[in-house]
Amino acid sequence: MQDINVQLPNLLDQVIQSIPYFKAELALIFAFLGSILATLFVDKWWKHGSFVITLTGIIISFILSTQQLGAPQNGFFGMLIVDNFSVYARGILLLALLLCVVFIQQHFRNKKFSKNLGDIYSILLTAGLGLNILTMTSNWLLAFIAIETVSISSYILVGFFSENKKQAEASMKYVLFGSVSAAVMLYGLSLLYGFTGNLDFTSFEHIQGLIEAPKILLSLALLFMFSGIGFKLSFVPFHVWAPDVYEGAPTPVTAFLSTVPKIGALVLLARLFEEWTSSSFYFSELVLVLVSVAAIVTMLVGNLVALRQTNIKRMMAYSSIGHTGFLLMALIANLASEPQVLLFYIAVYTIMNLAVFGLIDVLEQKTGSAQLESYQGLGRQFPILFTVFTLLGISLVGLPPTAGFIGKLFVFSSVFDLFQFNNNKYYLILLIVGALTSVISLFYYFKIPLFAFLRKGEEVKVAYSKSAQLVYIISILLGISTLVLGIFPSILLSLFK
Amino acid sequence: MGLLSLLIFLPLVATALILLLPNRMQSNYKYIALGFTVIQFALAGWLYVQFDNSASGINQISGFQYLEQLPWIRLDLGSLGQLEIDYFLGVDGVSMPLLVLSAFVMLMAIGASWNITKSTKGYFSLLMLLNMAVMGIFCALDFFLFYIFYEVMLLPLYFLIGIWGGANREYAAIKFFIYTLFGSVFMLLIIVGLYFSVVNPDTGAHTFNMLHMMNPNNYVDGSFFAYLNNYYEVLGIPARMLGFIVLFVAFAIKVPIVPLHTWLPDAHVEAPTPVSIILAGILLKIGGYGIIRVCYSIFPDAAVDANWWLGLIGVISILYGALNALAQKDLKRLIAYSSVSHMGFVLLGVASLTAEGISGALFQMLSHGFLSAALFFLVGVIYDRVHDRYIYNFRGLASHMPAYTGFVAVAFFASLGLPGFSAFIGEAFVIIGTFNAESVGTGIPRWMAIAGSIGILLSAAYLLWTLQRMFFGQTRFKGGEAWASALTDINTRERIILFPTLALALVLGIMPSLVFDKMNATVLNLVSLVSQYL
Repeated sequence: MQDINVQLPNLLDQVIQSIPYFKAELALIFAFLGSILATLFVDKWWKHGSFVITLTGIIISFILSTQQLGAPQNGFFGMLIVDNFSVYARGILLLALLLCVVFIQQHFRNKKFSKNLGDIYSILLTAGLGLNILTMTSNWLLAFIAIETVSISSYILVGFFSENKKQAEASMKYVLFGSVSAAVMLYGLSLLYGFTGNLDFTSFEHIQGLIEAPKILLSLALLFMFSGIGFKLSFVPFHVWAPDVYEGAPTPVTAFLSTVPKIGALVLLARLFEEWTSSSFYFSELVLVLVSVAAIVTMLVGNLVALRQTNIKRMMAYSSIGHTGFLLMALIANLASEPQVLLFYIAVYTIMNLAVFGLIDVLEQKTGSAQLESYQGLGRQFPILFTVFTLLGISLVGLPPTAGFIGKLFVFSSVFDLFQFNNNKYYLILLIVGALTSVISLFYYFKIPLFAFLRKGEEVKVAYSKSAQLVYIISILLGISTLVLGIFPSILLSLFK
Repeated sequence: MGLLSLLIFLPLVATALILLLPNRMQSNYKYIALGFTVIQFALAGWLYVQFDNSASGINQISGFQYLEQLPWIRLDLGSLGQLEIDYFLGVDGVSMPLLVLSAFVMLMAIGASWNITKSTKGYFSLLMLLNMAVMGIFCALDFFLFYIFYEVMLLPLYFLIGIWGGANREYAAIKFFIYTLFGSVFMLLIIVGLYFSVVNPDTGAHTFNMLHMMNPNNYVDGSFFAYLNNYYEVLGIPARMLGFIVLFVAFAIKVPIVPLHTWLPDAHVEAPTPVSIILAGILLKIGGYGIIRVCYSIFPDAAVDANWWLGLIGVISILYGALNALAQKDLKRLIAYSSVSHMGFVLLGVASLTAEGISGALFQMLSHGFLSAALFFLVGVIYDRVHDRYIYNFRGLASHMPAYTGFVAVAFFASLGLPGFSAFIGEAFVIIGTFNAESVGTGIPRWMAIAGSIGILLSAAYLLWTLQRMFFGQTRFKGGEAWASALTDINTRERIILFPTLALALVLGIMPSLVFDKMNATVLNLVSLVSQYL
């Protein structure tokens, strides 16, 4: 403590110097405050006030963060890492957030909604803030704070809209699971801190401490820590909350939950993984095995359980669990290659998922149902929508000529490269399971065209809802972009140079 | 834009046109499809005539004709190296005849879909999309490009079977899709493995170029599929053998071989007639083509080791398919199983590794291509009229539909390998090649040739028996008078489609050199490429 007192002026100097590195996040914070104020005072006269402030905040944050490209810096005593990886990740994140905000605004446009929608925008902004920080830190403390910020925002997002028992149950489950896993993670982190005396997981002391730590306790600490991240990423066995929550929440919120938080958590895990698996000590192997096994099991469980679902949102929940497994595989692939591959897959996954949920939302507004059976015979009525939906399904399976295929190919390539390099059997199992689960996933993704095109159904009366129009257009454009990126992947890949 | 690109993407123009035209011009879609396919067929025919017979193809770029090579995806992937994917097209003696066959069968299929009324827009645009993919498969020389066309082909077929098919169509469509996809995802892993094992000697980058993959000098020492210093094993199987097996299984599902054939009867029975025609006429050939172009050319060393088993699988397919065909009571199912049997010859011929055998296999693919298409078309004729094709529900068709019976009889005799027709040439060459294989020492024993000829005998049995059951004797139909009046003899459109097909069978049966001349140099090159590992 004494040292700190002596160096206080120095510290303050450093903090002040570091603030510019934080400007993109500051934009989000100001937008957050602005949107709260707008909800209280402006929205009465101009109902779009908080919405516009939120959008502006996200866009400014995006612009500010892109300016940091190519100028790697460390701020706040190394707690904040501003490198290209984080800039790209934040770019994807903020754009996805932007789309989610638009989806939510459109979703509730024509609905009678007793609560104040403006609150949701501010909540989304805090989630964005937490995720942004998650992508730029290698410090456990900051990472924990960021994870909690995102988690608490997500609890509110889910709980805020609950109108019936089922939704309330979903949000309750979410909060309980979330808090327990946060507590467990914190305990794991405290153990790690005890072993190493340093909270920066890239630091020399940290690695040194891990090497010297007793194996059993270390394994326990790592397990605890992974359970926290696992909850956020919803990999097996920490996935049980996801289907209920995804089904219970309003579709645009599901779109947000299934995509955006994963980006942040993945980037953090990627940093951790890269740092920790580079040594040949016990904990490196343990981390590799943990992540590989989690990836394998998650791919299998997610895809197999998705087969039996009849509700499209629930099916997509399991599909996104399966994709989490594949994202973990992409994370492992990240060891072999530049972050390009991981970023490409994340970007493509985000596009696909947002587009699918956008279309689900549109259909829900038109037919009033999210059951797969309600799509029966709708292919004739909405040919373009279902063609794009099928295209997205193909992309999610990972078939050419779509971006999903290119992403999958890159991941396979990188993992194969690793396998060829050190002949580890886990890599081979990952490859085989990855290939096998894409065949399995075909079964359920193709239920959509199966119901829409192959089965005959009665014409549904569509209440012409104008609100779905914008979401529809965005989703169709996103869907087409998966095709374009599948044929010309260089457009996106050369961005991530 | 080269001629091959034109050949591939003409149907895509047709698709775009069909999709853009408003629905009230529905009746014109078939003319658009027909027009574009006629142009395509003319172009393929012109390319065939212009094709230089001396080109040896297979592993030499100089042996390919109508080459087109454009850089498509070039990416620097850091430690993964430079990604090199080309838009690389070319044809040799193996692919050229198959291109003409595809265009021809496509024409037949469009002719057979003349009476389709259910959402014609979707139907013809999907058909044209399928046409594009098929052409692309036969032209692609870059493995990545090949794979893309290979997978793109599945989607239109899924919908064509699934939407326009029979009662059990959902099951058949997804079964077909899953079977093929199962083979092809593992193929993707092998492609990735090959990518990391092969470098382009000119640029030093890893490449998907198939021709580079065929040259042992381009393999990185110690890489997963390397010829030299390769100690990789999976479950005790050496890496190169594993690569061969996985690729073989992927294509064998398409051929199809026993026991991976079970999708075929379902798909055929449920598919509408034109799709059956395409399935039998083109898609099965993709399997055989893949085995020659990919399995044998890229893994010749493993192919030589696995030879005996391949021959055995071929023999089993011939006999099992034929015995199954004998037991069928549904005419379409019978022909589907006869396809399994006839495609077994292709595998046996390729496995013999003699010039006669491989030429025979290729010839058999062509001959089976249009003959099975004709057979399915003939089944479609009665199915269109009475919506039934159960063999025992018909009797004495000969006196009721004499012209139809005439065509059926010619098609049946041609398929069972009567001398003078193309199937005879194909099967005879396969059996000659197999018989000679023992003296060349390729590891195929003589009894396989004998087993193959038993297959020919069986095919005579089931085809002639069917002829007897359905066409001869007292005229009697299950549907009585209603059927009798519905079963009109074949009309002009059907004649226009059938006549050239059967004439072609006859012409090629009498002058096989029309095809053999084009493929000879290529076949010899393939044999010399593989036999150095014997």
